[in-house]
Amino acid sequence: MSGDGVTGAAEEVLAAYLGEVAARLGGGPAGIRRDILAELGAGLADAADAHRAAGLDPAGAARAAVAEFGRPARVASGFRAELAVARARRTALTLLATGPMVGILWLSAALASHVRTPPWRWAGLPADARLAAHLAVIALVTAIASAVFTVAATGRLTRWLPALCSRTSAVLAAGGTVAIDVTLLTLFAAQAASTPGRLAALPAAIAAAASCTRLALATRATRNCLPRSRS
Amino acid sequence: MRAQALKGHLDGMLLAALEGGPRHGYAVMEALRAGSGGQFDLPTGTIYPALRRLERAGLVHTRWSEDGGRRRRFYELTPAGRRALELERSAWREFSAAVTALLGPQPWPVTS
Repeated sequence: MSGDGVTGAAEEVLAAYLGEVAARLGGGPAGIRRDILAELGAGLADAADAHRAAGLDPAGAARAAVAEFGRPARVASGFRAELAVARARRTALTLLATGPMVGILWLSAALASHVRTPPWRWAGLPADARLAAHLAVIALVTAIASAVFTVAATGRLTRWLPALCSRTSAVLAAGGTVAIDVTLLTLFAAQAASTPGRLAALPAAIAAAASCTRLALATRATRNCLPRSRS
Repeated sequence: MRAQALKGHLDGMLLAALEGGPRHGYAVMEALRAGSGGQFDLPTGTIYPALRRLERAGLVHTRWSEDGGRRRRFYELTPAGRRALELERSAWREFSAAVTALLGPQPWPVTS
């Protein structure tokens, strides 16, 4: 913002405005936030230049530019919606990318442990483990369908599907993933507690670690994608 | 021009402003003001999120470029953006023709 006559007091006015917008942007991918503020900053400087060319002094031009851009709260709310959509998309893509990996790790653990029977028939499992496994399948189908929908709704189909839908479906995808990981880890813990000798320690530990990591990620994503009720 | 009336047609107007070639955000705003004889008076800050929405929908693509000593984000219509503009245009023609006919000074036909 130099070399265009935007100096001192004028620069402060523009920076203060950008700061107010930035404070109201809320969360979201850091790269996109930076991008938004850089673009807005260049636009403000362009506006200040235009007002200077129309005869205002630098400080007056900066104030006119800020007035022309509108209230920071209004500008930020437009970007907040876009950031929420970007976050939902990122969550869904991450879940779609990591899902098969976690699945393969658990499958290798089961194969290495010579577990040929379905998880709900493993020795030492409580009687309702079968129900848990069935719920996990439902969660899996829900999570995959929701993630695919989210990616579609936040991309080319965005003109026909409102942003609110993509946020809801991202929460469903992340929530489904949480349910899957909790079930897998519970089954694993029950097996390890009752007949630890049947488990191949290393592959099972790797799969459990992967599930824990994804569980943390999905829990955070679920929280982040939910609309903020306060502030 | 009333903001509410503008809002429903913002996407189409943004696409139209880019029809002649790539522009950065502030240049889009200036084109809309100049093109409407100063009637377009939405706050400048609100067109940036709208441009991002168009980008996400695949109607424009963007690139950062140095211009006049300042890094700016340029927007350019994609083929899908051109098609969307044509659709907006024909929908608007039909709508405005109907409203013009209804609001015109000619006497209405007697129906009963």
